[in-house]
This record gives sequence, structure tokens and C-alpha cells, in this order.
Amino acid sequence: MGRRLLIGAGIAAAFVSGMVYAWRIAFVDGTELLFNSGWWLVLLAPFAGALAAGLTRRKNPVIEGDRVLRHDGAAILEHWTHGIGTAVLIVTGLALGALFIPSLLAKQQVWAVMNVHFVAVVMFLFGTFYYGVNTLLSWQRFREHLPTANAIKFTVQHYGRLLGNKKYDMPPEDKYFESEKMAYLLALVATATVIITGLLKAAAHVISIPGAVMGAATLVHDVATLGMLAFFLAHVLFAAILPMGWPMLRSMFTGYVSVEHAKAEHAGWYRRLVKPAVVPSEPKKDRNAA
Amino acid sequence: MTDKEPKQVTRREFVTSVGGVGVGAVLGGVFLKGFLLPDQVLAVPASEGYLLVDTKKCAGCSSCMLACSLVHTGETNLSTSRIQIVNDPFVAFPNGVTQEQCRQCPFPACVEACPTGAMHVDTANGNVRTVDPAKCIGCERCIGACPFSPARVQWNSEEKHAQKCDLCADAPFWSDKGGVGGKQACVEVCPMHAIAFTKNVPLQNGDAGYQVNLRKGSVVWKAIGMPDGDNGEYASTPG
Repeated sequence: MGRRLLIGAGIAAAFVSGMVYAWRIAFVDGTELLFNSGWWLVLLAPFAGALAAGLTRRKNPVIEGDRVLRHDGAAILEHWTHGIGTAVLIVTGLALGALFIPSLLAKQQVWAVMNVHFVAVVMFLFGTFYYGVNTLLSWQRFREHLPTANAIKFTVQHYGRLLGNKKYDMPPEDKYFESEKMAYLLALVATATVIITGLLKAAAHVISIPGAVMGAATLVHDVATLGMLAFFLAHVLFAAILPMGWPMLRSMFTGYVSVEHAKAEHAGWYRRLVKPAVVPSEPKKDRNAA
Repeated sequence: MTDKEPKQVTRREFVTSVGGVGVGAVLGGVFLKGFLLPDQVLAVPASEGYLLVDTKKCAGCSSCMLACSLVHTGETNLSTSRIQIVNDPFVAFPNGVTQEQCRQCPFPACVEACPTGAMHVDTANGNVRTVDPAKCIGCERCIGACPFSPARVQWNSEEKHAQKCDLCADAPFWSDKGGVGGKQACVEVCPMHAIAFTKNVPLQNGDAGYQVNLRKGSVVWKAIGMPDGDNGEYASTPG
């Protein structure tokens, strides 16, 4: 826990310092656009994420007394770096995207907001590539996120029950709800699109990219941002605002949920944890899972 | 002696090495560029064409602005003209009207300020300084960077991008050839012949190189009793 706090505090301090520097250098000094002078950080972040993932030893979920380890340190790190990066990117991206309808920003603020966007890009790329490579090293974590044949049935049952329809029982959801798994696909496509088009836009600060490519990349980037926004709002609503998500939110800091919670909300997952032998998707040749 | 099986590289070893080499390459490159290579400077070729104006001759009719807008956008809209006519009612004739044209600066501050390369030197069209609208992100740094007032780069509020004079190199609504090897709509349409085109780099000292006397030697101008001196005075006896 002490090590986790230390890493978290270090990353938070770097992020906040970066934001202050980004704002100051543009808004107060009015001299520098970080996409021009610090472009190499955009290149560095994905490699740093991959390296960190390669050096990380993951811990699989396990029942420990009356609690269940749901999120190991790596899950917490990738979630918050990706999530906070995404939040800042969406806010600054919307402000920059609304420059023409009419502008929400004064002229000098555009520069400062672009710099803040840059800092969030670095954080977001690190978190996303850390997650992506972690997933590459442990495919069962990816498979857990994909919808199954029960997707529609479980979702109707789950939310039918939450809405008070007594004919439905809580379905035996796995580690993730089937509704979350469907939303994951949207997030996956939107994130991949935003990264590809965003890297093109960042590259345009360093090398010459044809105008037609830039025009298309900008439009696709904007549309994908709206997809991410939709996912982000739903995610925050269900995971942080509605009380039903609070145990999971707590777990994103402590790593643990209670056994009662796991039994009640994720009966399918709990069954797998109790009887690991029935796990059908554990890849035999994956030598890297902890 | 027994044959050992060759050691297989695991997926984890592979991605760790890719990450490590990537981090090393980027940091090494930054170090190399930052400490061992000389700083880059912006060096751009001079434009091969320039607009000259005679503010003493301009009648302020704004025909040049309407023509500029028309050939570039297909509409007569003073707001989308690259050249600007400024009327100052508190200044006496013949100094109350001025034409503010882009100077195609030898060192274009607007090009240097642009973060995306949208404002660029068009080497295919006589090195005219111009905007690629598809690359413009609307930050308006180019407008702020222009050393002249009013800025010779404007915000095109219709099409949402920066715009500036390209000497009609890209004038899609004009059938004549524009650019440094062709015509310029403002020069063609001005009823006072108060705008001229030159391929010679004007004197880069204040306004003198770009605001010239286009009246001198004009028999008509002299005949109607208008001043023909460089500073708006009667240099010769009115005919």
C-alpha cells in the first residue's frame, strides 16, 4: 500500500506540475506551445507505458478472508492515468472543438488549453499503452471484457431488477456486467480512433502532413471524442455517482471488494474464484500471468 | 554433451525490450538534438511578387475588397476580403483613405507562428505566403503575429479559418490565371489604378517600399488637378 501511494503521489505531482507549467508558459508568458517544443514526450509516453507493463507482475483476483482482491496495483494505475487523462482531454478537447460555434476561449486561452491538452495526452498515452500491453500479456483479462451470448438477457434481467420488476432475479454476472462489456466495445473503438487520429494531429507539429489527411483526421478525431464522451459520462454515472457503484469505486483505491458484494453483484465471477478449475478461458500457454 | 533447446523469447521479454528500446531511442534522440546538433532557424525564400499601393490615389470605393472576396469565395463580402480599405474621417484629404495589403514579408512572422504548418510558403506558386485551410486549427496565432495593424491575416468567419492575400494564386471563382505569373483581381479592378504588382522586393523600411506614388507621370491625373507629389502635395503645376 505504501508503494502504491508513493507511485500515485509521484504521478499526481508530475501531472499537476505539468498542468501548471503548461498553463503558465502559454497564458502568462505567452511564448510556447508544448505540441511544438515537447513533441518527443508524445512519442515517449507509449514506449514508457509498454516498458512499465513489461516490468509489472500482475496479481490475479483472489479471495482473501472476507474480501476479494479485484484490482491489483497495475489495474489501479492504468485506470487512473487513462481515466484522468481522458477527462482532461475531453474537457479541453470540447473547449478547443467549440472554437467556431462561437469560441468559448479568448485568443490567448487557446494556446494555454492546447498546452493542458498536451499534458493530458502524455498521461493518457502512458495509461492506455500500459493497459494495452498489460492486456497483450494476459489475454484472459481482455476476454473478460468481451460480451458473451448472455449480453442482452443478463442486461435486461439486471436493470429490470434494479428498476423494481420483481419477475427478474440478479443474473450471475461475471467480473464485469454484460452491459459494461458492450460499452467496452464502444470505448475500445473510440479510444483506438482517437489515438490514431490524435497522433496524426500531433505529428503535424513536427512533419508536414497533407491537408486532406489532416482535414479527415480532425473530423474523425472529433466524432470519436463524442463516442468517448458518451462512454465517459455513462461510466462516471454508474461507477461513481449512483450508490450501486460505490463499492467498485472504493476498490479502485483499495483494490478490494467485500465477499458479500462479489456474491451479490458478480455471482458468476465469485463462482470462478471459488472454483478456479472451472475457468474455461485461462490460456495454458500464457506464462506471464502472476 | 547434450544439445540444449534454444531459449525462446517470451511475449513479456519482447514487449519489455520494445518499450525499453523505444524509451532509449526517444531520450537519446532528444539528447542528440538538444545538445549535439545546432538549433534550427526558419529560412524561407522571398516571395516572387508583391502588391504596391498608392494611398493618395485611392478613392476608398472598396472595389478591390469586393473583387478579392468574389474571386476567392464566389461572394461579394467585405468581411472575406484579403485587402482592406481603411477610411479615417478625422484625417484630411488625401491621407484619409489607406489600402492595407499583405506585404508578403521576406521574414513571415505569420508562417513562423503557425503551429501546424497551415500558414506556409507556397513554393509551387512563387513562394507566396498563404494558408492551407484544411490544416488551420483556428488558434489565430498568425493574426496575432502579423506586425502590422490591421493584421494582414484575417479570420474568415464564413469558412472558419485564417486567410490572407495569396496574390490570387488560389482564386477558384476567377477564370483568369492569378499568382505571381498572372493577374491580381484588386489590381485589375481598381478604377483609380491605385494598386500595382511588382516582382521586385520592395524596400523593407517602414511603409515607403509598399506605399508608392502611382500618380507621377499620369497626364490624366495632372489634367484633373489632383496632387501628384510623393506626400500628396502638388509636385508640378496643375494642368
